Amino acid sequence: MNWRRLNTIIHRDLGYLCFGLTMIYAISGIAVNHIHSWNPNYLINQERGTIDNLPGGPADAALTTEILKRIEATGEVKNTFQPDPNTLQIFLEGNTVTVNLNTGETLQEKVTNRPLLRQMNYLHLNHPKKLWTWFADLYALCLGVLACSGLFILKGKNGMKGRGGWLTGAGLLIPLFFLWLYF
Amino acid sequence: MKKLWFIGFSLAFTLLAGTVMPALADLQLGQPLTLTEITKVSDIEKNPTAYVGKKIQISGTVVEVCSSRGCWMNLASDTPFEKFQVKVTDGVIIFPMSARGHAARAEGVVEELKLSQKEALDYYQHKAAEKRESFDPQTVTGPETIYRLRAMGAVIKD
Repeated sequence: MNWRRLNTIIHRDLGYLCFGLTMIYAISGIAVNHIHSWNPNYLINQERGTIDNLPGGPADAALTTEILKRIEATGEVKNTFQPDPNTLQIFLEGNTVTVNLNTGETLQEKVTNRPLLRQMNYLHLNHPKKLWTWFADLYALCLGVLACSGLFILKGKNGMKGRGGWLTGAGLLIPLFFLWLYF
Repeated sequence: MKKLWFIGFSLAFTLLAGTVMPALADLQLGQPLTLTEITKVSDIEKNPTAYVGKKIQISGTVVEVCSSRGCWMNLASDTPFEKFQVKVTDGVIIFPMSARGHAARAEGVVEELKLSQKEALDYYQHKAAEKRESFDPQTVTGPETIYRLRAMGAVIKD
């Protein structure tokens, strides 16, 4: 077997092996790239409302129960907190209710995980650490091998001596251009 | 071919399972807690400069979490209407949104941020953007000093 045949086999099999992870990194990459304009991990649904004639008195368990009943929020109360004398926060599972005790205005903030995307981001941003760090390193190494082996799949006018060479050169110039522009 | 579909579905199921599984059960984040004494947040608030640079452990209810990156959380103080920020390096520890309302302990070093008016403006603007809230620059009227815990480890109680 000559080296070019071996190179093609390595490129093909590594390509298959890396497909799943590459898709995870690609999708998550786009998701976290725009973190300034959206939340890639959570869906946060805000619902505003007003409670008429909210009873006065201390922000105790009775008032909490009354508020939840009025806004028809369900779930076990995990805790409450008053960031200031006029505001009460009620923490339910997956829902935080903020009430203005003066005006009766309410804000329910319901948080759910973005299905699949949160898990992809978890892996992409190496939150598991431990063994995953080494596995991700191995994957990065495989990507390097894929890139290098890909250069030598074809020979002739579509290989490195022709079209392949020009496109590879252009691919190297793109990051250099942005470095010149922004660095 | 059937095997490939099976592997594909298994992977998708594994990822999906994580979305419906219970989010918390005494979640240990970062380095294990080592201190046995808990410092009251109210004590820090009374004399913050005395704690700057000191390693301490604090506890309280999680009342707020950074929704973008999970890089900070606020713990309720033992005095009414007060809270204290626990900050971690982005990506090193990630506080989950599901921590809100849970009791937590955090261990780290108290740090002091002395901000000029411009820096304070940028700081609060960034915080508002993280929370996707509107921000009024007029609320920052001069230089500010912020005290917070730079945490190395935390435990979110179930």
